[in-house]
Amino acid sequence: MDISERLNVPSTGEEIEPFLEVTPQLVQQRRSQGRIIFDRFIRNRAAIVGAIFLILLFLFCFVGPLVTTHNQPDQIHVTDVAQTLAGPSWQFPFGTDDTGRDMMARAMAGGQVSLLIALISMFMAVIVGVSIGAFAGFYGGIIDTLLMRFTDVILSVPLYLLLFVLSASFTDGSPKSVILLISFFGWQYAARLVRGEFLSLREREYVLAARTIGAKGFRIMFRHILPNAAGPIIVNATLLIGVNIILESVMSYFGFGIKPPNSSWGTLVSDGQGFFDVDPLLLMVPALLIFFTVLSVNLVGDGLRDALDPYMTER
Amino acid sequence: MGENLLEVQDLKLYFKVKAGKVRAVDGVSFTIKPGEKLGVVGESGCGKSVTALSIMRLIPQPPGEYAGGSVLFEDQDLLDVPESAMRKIRGGQIGMIFQDPMTCLNPTMTVGKQIGEGLRIHLKLSGDQALKRAIALLEQVGIPDAATRVNSYPHQFSGGMRQRVMIAIALACNPKLLIADEPTTALDVTVQAQILELINGVCSEFGTAVMLITHDLGVVAGMTDRVVVMYAGKVVETAPTGELFANPRHPYTLGLLASVPRLDEKRHSELRTIEGAPPDLLSPPPGCPFMPRCAFARAICRTMPPLELVAGNSSHLKACWVNVTDPNEQAYADRRRKARLEATQVAISTSADVTLQQTS
Amino acid sequence: MGRYIIRRLLQALLLLALLSVGMFLLIHALPGGPEQVLFNPRLSAAGRAAIRARFGLDQPLYIQYLKWLGNALVGDFGFSFVTNQPVSELLTERFPATLELFSFALVLALILAITIGVISAVRQGSVTDYGLTTLSYFGIAMPVFLLGLFAQNIFGVWLHILPVSGTSTLGFTYDPFNAFLDRFEHLILPMLVLAVSFIAGWSRYMRASMIEVSKQDYMRTARAKGVAPVPLLIRHALRNAVIPLITVVALDFGQVAGGATITEGVFAWPGMGLLFLDSLTNRDFPVLLAMLMISAVFVIGFNLIADLLYGVMDPRIRYS
Repeated sequence: MDISERLNVPSTGEEIEPFLEVTPQLVQQRRSQGRIIFDRFIRNRAAIVGAIFLILLFLFCFVGPLVTTHNQPDQIHVTDVAQTLAGPSWQFPFGTDDTGRDMMARAMAGGQVSLLIALISMFMAVIVGVSIGAFAGFYGGIIDTLLMRFTDVILSVPLYLLLFVLSASFTDGSPKSVILLISFFGWQYAARLVRGEFLSLREREYVLAARTIGAKGFRIMFRHILPNAAGPIIVNATLLIGVNIILESVMSYFGFGIKPPNSSWGTLVSDGQGFFDVDPLLLMVPALLIFFTVLSVNLVGDGLRDALDPYMTER
Repeated sequence: MGENLLEVQDLKLYFKVKAGKVRAVDGVSFTIKPGEKLGVVGESGCGKSVTALSIMRLIPQPPGEYAGGSVLFEDQDLLDVPESAMRKIRGGQIGMIFQDPMTCLNPTMTVGKQIGEGLRIHLKLSGDQALKRAIALLEQVGIPDAATRVNSYPHQFSGGMRQRVMIAIALACNPKLLIADEPTTALDVTVQAQILELINGVCSEFGTAVMLITHDLGVVAGMTDRVVVMYAGKVVETAPTGELFANPRHPYTLGLLASVPRLDEKRHSELRTIEGAPPDLLSPPPGCPFMPRCAFARAICRTMPPLELVAGNSSHLKACWVNVTDPNEQAYADRRRKARLEATQVAISTSADVTLQQTS
Repeated sequence: MGRYIIRRLLQALLLLALLSVGMFLLIHALPGGPEQVLFNPRLSAAGRAAIRARFGLDQPLYIQYLKWLGNALVGDFGFSFVTNQPVSELLTERFPATLELFSFALVLALILAITIGVISAVRQGSVTDYGLTTLSYFGIAMPVFLLGLFAQNIFGVWLHILPVSGTSTLGFTYDPFNAFLDRFEHLILPMLVLAVSFIAGWSRYMRASMIEVSKQDYMRTARAKGVAPVPLLIRHALRNAVIPLITVVALDFGQVAGGATITEGVFAWPGMGLLFLDSLTNRDFPVLLAMLMISAVFVIGFNLIADLLYGVMDPRIRYS
């Protein structure tokens, strides 16, 4: 029998009000998790501006040299000393440097080095961090203790001091050595995060259950944990790109990172700083590129953090 | 000056949210005489606390917004006075105690300073004088060894002790009215009686009027002169305490009283509850807000009943169209309750069937 | 509380011991370590042996470490490879300049960060708040060395209103008052740059902390007592909000030290940071080792202080 019929009890003939609380279920529009995150990110205007800037920057640095004539960063275009350090012109939109080289081509080439170093170091740091964290969290005990002590020790020395000492001894001025060094300073956060997730998941019922039916614990945990830790790791990885760009440029500026014949935004800043009174572009172009790249990366990172925040409820 | 210390008339306070206005307090009226003890009763979320805070003008604006009415305190409309004058009334004329003594005291200030702060503001006492008075107050609220405890920090006190400190803070400047917002809810049962006793005793001694907000009818029965029953931001019934318990006239009050377990009842008799949940104050149903849950409901309930005197009693008001003492009405309500119970059971068994079919 | 302090002290000492071994091995085992730096390829075998003996490099590594550690504990960090001066003497020479820059910048940064944080929190959601938040975003994205370069070029090279390097103008003799003024002028830019690089992060933290505190129940209690807005802010909100900030600042010590090093490098401010950079270029390992260890002592010490300070400022921790 229909519920509403049974509610209307036949009685004295007086009108009877049904209980209003028996109302249809709230119809909720459902969206997938990824869709929700994407929608939230899209609504964050600052993050979108940052993302667009980063895309344009990549096109500038990596596609620019292919489609424009600014692809000979080391070519001396102007031999007349009076013509060097020229300001912007149609031929050289960013001008030329003190030896008559095309600044736009140099900015593109330097950008390739800086961005690649930041990206590759980030990937290496995340991979190493996740592996070490998983290892320590899964096995626990002495390995875990050693890892945590090691992290403590590294964190006890001011980052820049240790970085400089290591770079002065380790790096030979090539991008490869700089990448190795920078990635060494980036893996700790991901390691701690994954370790924590592993420690808490190790004793959960479903992992124990999976073990009892003979599944390999490590593999199961990894498949369950990565989705859990993915959000914070992605945010951290994004912000790490910005940190890496700063680290590379600081090292190169002080002469401990990228060295000639290689060049990066950091070396361009170092090269250009002496000519500010004659040609401010030599300093401003690489400096502003660094600044806006880091700013955009941070905006995107913060946008991702907000979008991935499980505590932020949809209203 | 009129005979009333506090006269709240048709007070309306709405909260502006994205989806519209939440009518937290929607036309509340009641009065408190000097020295009188008034209980305000209702479920969580019925607007009791918001009423208290809006009397004190402690609701942040925005999102809060006064939508009408007046709060006459000694014939002065508190909604009209400037903020500086209001500050003199807060703590000086009206003291307030809050629900959770664990979070309501500043953790980085000694209790002596916190008690003395009001004294220095309102009575212009010096630091020394304030400290002496704070010690006296602590003794008065029953804190042993007050002279040394006055320099302790809140975390060094237990929950009950902290609530005593809160009482000392609220009563420091000898206010004319004490608003106690669920003062015992967060405390151990064993301590609750002591705190109520204390509030009752101290206020009787000083002649302080009390507005005691609670969801616990037992608390109200013990120490108030009169009770206001609130539902969904509105006053639905008000009467002297004895009269209300003996002769409740609003279906909601009936429900509240029926849901208190009683010692003189059969051991295993089922405890009556009020079915359903309070309405969403963002879009309250038109008419009587209790109608959706009310067994006595009928067509006329679609318009809001006025808060009127109960026939034959000059101090008992109710906002209900139905005379709940009429046996016909009661029989009607019983039938509706039964039908509802059946319908719920059908609904549950139906959904269970569906689940079974799906799984098999 | 006493036992807690002792436990933390022991932990810190253990960490330092580990660290000293690590740093010593790092410096000595690295390619381009002392062995390579000291020896001129044209030296005779006898000459090499003499230098080895002079710097104790002929002994096994663990003996070298123990000797170094024993001396370091009494403040003797050996001799500079470059100037042959005792390292401790070099450090003491450079310390005052660094302390000057560091403390001025720190005080300035704290005052400004707290002020900005409070203003943003009080005017939450206003144009001022958005403006300050935007500025702090810029501040966070701006590396110290770039900020330094910009400041140098804008105020020094371009506007010519402030000196851009060193601590005093060369070739002029001043009476004490003008000498003081001159030194202060030289301090302004590095101090501002170092301070600004930390204001962004700290002011955002302060803002969040203030907003958190203003939501607390005890703020409502205070308002119910009739406390006016300004005393409410100062007596009730500020103290509770500053406690976590102080901890963050103490924990940031390592970053401030790194920032100071870079600032000194950019502005040629003759403090320990500049000494560090020079020693790196010259591969002056005894100096580097000493500075790494000293900075680590400071970082670990400040971590400890952060913990204890939290206890002093927050009575909940002090007594429990």
